[in-house]
Amino acid sequence: MLATRDVKLALLPALVVLAVFAAALGSLFRWSFLEFVPGSLQTGGLTLANLRAVLAPQYLATIRDTVVLSALTTLLTLVAAYPVAYALARTPSRRVRSTILVLTLAPFFTGAIVRTYAWILVLGNTVITWPVPMLFTERGVLVGLVHFSMPTMILILAAALSHIDPVYERAATSLGASPARVFWRVTLPLSMPGIVSGGLIVFAWTLSAFPTPELLGGGKVKMIANVVKDLGALALTLALLAAVGRLTAGRAS
Amino acid sequence: MTTVVVELRGCTRDYGAVRAVDALDLSVHESEFLALLGPSGCGKTTTLNLIAGFVPPTAGRVFLDGDDVTDRPPHLRGLGMVFQSYALFPHLSVRENVAFGLRERRVPAREIERRVGDALELVRLDRAGRQRPGELSGGMQQRVALARALVYRPRVLLLDEPLAALDKKLREGMRDELRAIQRSVGITTIFVTHDQAEALGLSDRIAVMNRGRIEQLGAPREIYEHPATRFVADFIGASTVLRGRAVANDRVAVAGVTLVVTSGALSSGADVELAIRPERVQLVPGGGDNVVEARVEGLVYQGAQTELTARLRDDQRVLALVTEPAPAPLEVGQTVRLHLPADAFMVLA
Amino acid sequence: MILRLVVAALLLFITLPTVVVIAVSFNPTAILSFPPSGLSLRWYENVLTYPQFQRAAVNSLVVTGAAVALALPVGTLAALALERGRLRGRNAWAVLLLSPLVVPGVAAGLGFLILAAALGLLRSRSVLIAAHVALVLPFVVRAVWVSVRNLDPALERAAASLGAAPSHVFRRVTLPLLKPGLFAALLFAVVVSLNEFVVSLFISNRVTEILPVAMFTYVVNYTDPTIAALSSLFIVATFVVVWLADRYLDLARVFLQH
Repeated sequence: MLATRDVKLALLPALVVLAVFAAALGSLFRWSFLEFVPGSLQTGGLTLANLRAVLAPQYLATIRDTVVLSALTTLLTLVAAYPVAYALARTPSRRVRSTILVLTLAPFFTGAIVRTYAWILVLGNTVITWPVPMLFTERGVLVGLVHFSMPTMILILAAALSHIDPVYERAATSLGASPARVFWRVTLPLSMPGIVSGGLIVFAWTLSAFPTPELLGGGKVKMIANVVKDLGALALTLALLAAVGRLTAGRAS
Repeated sequence: MTTVVVELRGCTRDYGAVRAVDALDLSVHESEFLALLGPSGCGKTTTLNLIAGFVPPTAGRVFLDGDDVTDRPPHLRGLGMVFQSYALFPHLSVRENVAFGLRERRVPAREIERRVGDALELVRLDRAGRQRPGELSGGMQQRVALARALVYRPRVLLLDEPLAALDKKLREGMRDELRAIQRSVGITTIFVTHDQAEALGLSDRIAVMNRGRIEQLGAPREIYEHPATRFVADFIGASTVLRGRAVANDRVAVAGVTLVVTSGALSSGADVELAIRPERVQLVPGGGDNVVEARVEGLVYQGAQTELTARLRDDQRVLALVTEPAPAPLEVGQTVRLHLPADAFMVLA
Repeated sequence: MILRLVVAALLLFITLPTVVVIAVSFNPTAILSFPPSGLSLRWYENVLTYPQFQRAAVNSLVVTGAAVALALPVGTLAALALERGRLRGRNAWAVLLLSPLVVPGVAAGLGFLILAAALGLLRSRSVLIAAHVALVLPFVVRAVWVSVRNLDPALERAAASLGAAPSHVFRRVTLPLLKPGLFAALLFAVVVSLNEFVVSLFISNRVTEILPVAMFTYVVNYTDPTIAALSSLFIVATFVVVWLADRYLDLARVFLQH
């Protein structure tokens, strides 16, 4: 039992970590308003040119594609995750709950690379011969994104569903509602907070998805993050080349 | 004979190794108010859920108006139910809550409007229609739950401890109101409670339950005055139970004293159990018929009366309520004389 | 019944890629086929002998080890402060502590890259470690917080009333009761850090890169099942950890509570 004052101080180290994180985001933010000097990580004065450049048609198309793909992903993930979350929250058997939880959590904890690589295998006609091309298409990226978002959505929805007292469903039944009607009129509206927060999180994550479109899109499907990576990597490469060049030049003289 | 509305035939319900309801037979008649009374875990709520259809029986059948409804899902049984926590939908207004059952029955919108209004008027809540259940007091929520269960005129009303969540004063007011509404609607009602005062005050008949069985079924007065078993005697108004041996058809020997017992003919030589309520035991100054000596073991002052626990010579315990002020100062360890009136004994089976 | 079939199908969808990866990892030929035409461990051998994977594995151990060693005490203290500190605006603090979770990986990665470049730390692992601490912290805070919240303060008061000094109360009562939460936090931190990819991609190079980054590079350049073998190792390790965690920690409690 610590004194209240000590307890407040305990927050300090975490705030330092967050400050470092904020500094990183801050420098990104600042950078976005600085003049780009080609071939260098050095930058010039303040400018809005970078923001204007983002409005170029090629980027606008990427942004539009990304938003559409993210919205579709969110919708499909909601539909696919809901039954699993419902089963997870409502099964009376601990064994069933554990099975669902482990099957859901394992991919959640298996990194993006492993999971995306797995989808390359599945979508690439190794297992099933698909009637339509899947790999390196938006369809394939969509499947990968839904799969990637499902564990998170299942956990959020299951948490929301497990907070609904089953007595409301019983009450609706006693008032003459069939199971489907109980779901439609009671369970679904009461789980709305979970649907909203899960939807927002998945939408936000998908907007910035990187490895899935990078590997499953094979350069043909570009989302915002892939463009950012391309530009960032380009700037970095140029900057490093310049630095190496300066070093070599310095040694030679 | 009145019509039987609900009937359970040999209903048993097991939860794993636990038998919650044990081969239960029960008939509930038209317009009657029946209480299922018992301690927690006696199977009364499971019995209610068997009738409602939320729990299928392990064995036995359930009948509604003579039809076997054992396999009929709960939403097609046409019953009304008030839950202990009321279970008012938090995402719907009071009006929408009450209209819920009518909408499921595809009643036209105008009629829903009228009937919801009538139902809210019946429970004196016609002004709260737009509010959310969370904004209402416990007593008001209780009345909304009642209106919601009654509005579509169900065949039977099931009440699961509907008064338990209210504080004592409100509970007594709601009890009278519940009875008045039930009378005016004339609906067959089954009421689960662990509170014997509630059961005695509300019901036409009481089924006292213990360990998944009905110990006794009868009118409140009958249950109170002629408990059939030791459990019933004890559960309805903590009684003293004395063991003795019948020495004649109206005489029982207890703790070296022969007591006269006027209720029921006894067979001489048999072991009998006699129950007597504490309010019938009197403190007396001298000897006489049916007077026993006992040693005071405990005194609990309760204001208008004092609860006295005493031991007879053979160590059997007797409970008495002494109206204050007591005729003489009482002390623990003191020997007192107790009069056990001959007509106050209840002979247990 | 229909619900059960649907749930089973969806769970199959979730598990399908995992199954395929493991099956393919035993494929004897470099050309992928399913089901495999035979059984071979050659790709596992390849994983263990490929120099860049060996180097990346060492990097992963160093970065994850350092990040977890830092994040665990920091996060635990923060969780205690959150529940016991009588903070004004406690929910706002909680949101702040969990916020690194919702920042896009690309943004964080690029930000750390710019920061590292500005500080001249591009070649060291320190920025990588700092980034991992920040990314792992929300998981630690969340897991420990659930435990702290379920801890009855009366137990600590009881220990104090029995004569234990505050530091003893912490060591003999608080810490042992928090053990499941701390254990869960440790598992999450290790698993999340070991699998972190996007941010690490930006702030590491050939020398400092961790395993997922090395795998990404490999996938982009080669198509043989070596990655399947390495992925299988990851998957099996994760499954074992999650299964153990569920057995001993009741994950439903950690994840289904608000």
